[in-house]
Amino acid sequence: MPPNGSSSVAAVWAILRKECRSEWRTRYGLNAALLFAVATLTGVSFAVGRLPDRTDLLSALLWVVLLFASLASLAHAFVKEVEGHTLTLLRLVASPTAIALGKLLFNLLFLGVLEVVTVPLFLILMGGPPPRWGAFLLVLGLGSLALAATTTLVGAVVSQTRGRGALFAAVSLPLLMVVLAAGVSGLRAQWDGNPIGPDVRLLAAYAAAVLGASVLLYDHLWED
Amino acid sequence: MALRVLLFVWIAGALLAGFLWAPTVENLGETTRVLYFHIPSAWIAVLALAWSMLHSLLYLRTRRLEHDDQAAAAAELGILFCIGATASGSLWARAQWGSYWNWDPRETSIFFVLLIYGAYLALRSAVEGDERRARLAAIYSAIAFVAVPFLMFVVPRIYATLHPSPILPQQGEKTGMDPRIRWSFLAMLVGFTGLFFWMMSLRVRVTRAERRRLETREAGA
Amino acid sequence: MNAAAAPAAAVALSLEARGLAHLYTGRRGLQPVSFAVASPGAVAVTGVNGSGKSTLLRLMAGLLRPTAGASALTLGGVAVPPAARREVVGFASPELQFYDEFSALENLAFAAEARGLADPHGLARAALERVGLASRGGDRVTALSSGMKQRLRLAFALLHRPPLLLLDEPGSHLDDEGRALVDRVVDEERRSGLVVIATNEEREWRLAAERIELRGRGLGDPA
Repeated sequence: MPPNGSSSVAAVWAILRKECRSEWRTRYGLNAALLFAVATLTGVSFAVGRLPDRTDLLSALLWVVLLFASLASLAHAFVKEVEGHTLTLLRLVASPTAIALGKLLFNLLFLGVLEVVTVPLFLILMGGPPPRWGAFLLVLGLGSLALAATTTLVGAVVSQTRGRGALFAAVSLPLLMVVLAAGVSGLRAQWDGNPIGPDVRLLAAYAAAVLGASVLLYDHLWED
Repeated sequence: MALRVLLFVWIAGALLAGFLWAPTVENLGETTRVLYFHIPSAWIAVLALAWSMLHSLLYLRTRRLEHDDQAAAAAELGILFCIGATASGSLWARAQWGSYWNWDPRETSIFFVLLIYGAYLALRSAVEGDERRARLAAIYSAIAFVAVPFLMFVVPRIYATLHPSPILPQQGEKTGMDPRIRWSFLAMLVGFTGLFFWMMSLRVRVTRAERRRLETREAGA
Repeated sequence: MNAAAAPAAAVALSLEARGLAHLYTGRRGLQPVSFAVASPGAVAVTGVNGSGKSTLLRLMAGLLRPTAGASALTLGGVAVPPAARREVVGFASPELQFYDEFSALENLAFAAEARGLADPHGLARAALERVGLASRGGDRVTALSSGMKQRLRLAFALLHRPPLLLLDEPGSHLDDEGRALVDRVVDEERRSGLVVIATNEEREWRLAAERIELRGRGLGDPA
């Protein structure tokens, strides 16, 4: 009985629902992440005040807050499995790719919830000018996709090591520089009235490249 | 043995040539001499990274630990050359333009390479077990391999964003102006490449010897 | 309705190993082993602690990659690559843990859903019934005793009616009633499929017709 496409889809969906249900029951991860994001935001706002005309700083700070919140919380999805020793169970019921995809979708959802809270709060606290919503959401969305894809893969790797949060952040950072650069540039462009085309293309290409590489690499991730 | 001696003589000769025989570049003065060390170091840092990534991919393919040995050794040596390149570049920038760091494209690129090396080595040090370490490190190397072209693309744009009006002069490193400079420089490049591969062979041999020692000890004295 | 009592379709399964080994640096672990076993029937894997019984079972299940040698699993004449083994293998071992925040039923239902099986809740309930945990299905895993968790592991392994059952120390933590359950399950499954039991207990390996004895250095071997 070779694996077929429909059972993989079933596996991804089952894992996604399990993650959501698990998160809903414990609420540990989301609470911590939201608290962290709001605390960082408060710190920034307190230190810098309102920046109604500094679009460069606004873009940079928003991405930094999101980046920090991600690094602090997105590894959680895999660390949970390792610490609870449930990885064997997972590996027996789903393929590595299905597991990874399920976790990725969950991380994406998680990041989305985080942003729904953080971004409006940021705009209000920092006094940023109203964004061109279409462009703003496109840059944010693609950047988040790239962010989630990268951190999910790195998280899967780091969860098997002795290192934890600090190692996860250190190892992810070089890979996330691309997202940071293009994301900041893109947000700034939409505020300044410049075209976001180049940045959007870069983010999309990067996200696609990471996802493509992931599909090939996930099979090697769990072998013991 | 003879090769080792030849290598040292070669590098010494190239250095002497660079300092005593070749002239200095117009507006760089004596600081020109840095290019005999700085650029070859940077070149090796990048070469080592490529070497390491290649062997990581080969390991994932073949699962032969020899490839992991190569990848690890290249990374360990590469980071040394990278630190050398970054530091010498920074000192040169200070001597030339009065500031240690400017995030111009070259500085930014070498810095990213340094970050990747650091991350790779940190990851390796956090895993036990040869095969597991090799596998996880290789996976990371593969992702970094994907990220590098994007980083190189993004780098000039970072500079353009931070320095909208070009204040700094063009970096005149590739002044192949005087052939004596060019020859000394090329000689150093070759010398450094030889140095790198020689150090690699040593490092890999040490790794293998350690593994054999561990195995014979465990197999029962 | 008792889906568990209906005999599974008897498709021929064979498992072969050629010089299969999993060695850590220093030559510890599973020494190269070769064997050929086929369904129907039961096989026991025995050996001192550290000789690699659990490792061998993990290799069979496709959870572990061998450092040397190879194993071949064929079902109905078709080769099953390691990546696909989890679909035809039922695996239960002491380090198999469940999600604490979910109930026993939810854990099994999730497993059935992820495997793409029809009527996941029905299958989960049937599996729980078969191992005598029907009344504890709604309890969170944290509330289960170690004996009950062991039964849950058994249920998990039987969930998708696999032709190959790999049981690592199935009697651990179980009382007499539990062990009788294991005997029953092995007896039922060996009629149509292949059951492999890794154990040091005589009572357990006596259940099997064949035996694979692992000769390893073991943990306490001073050499």
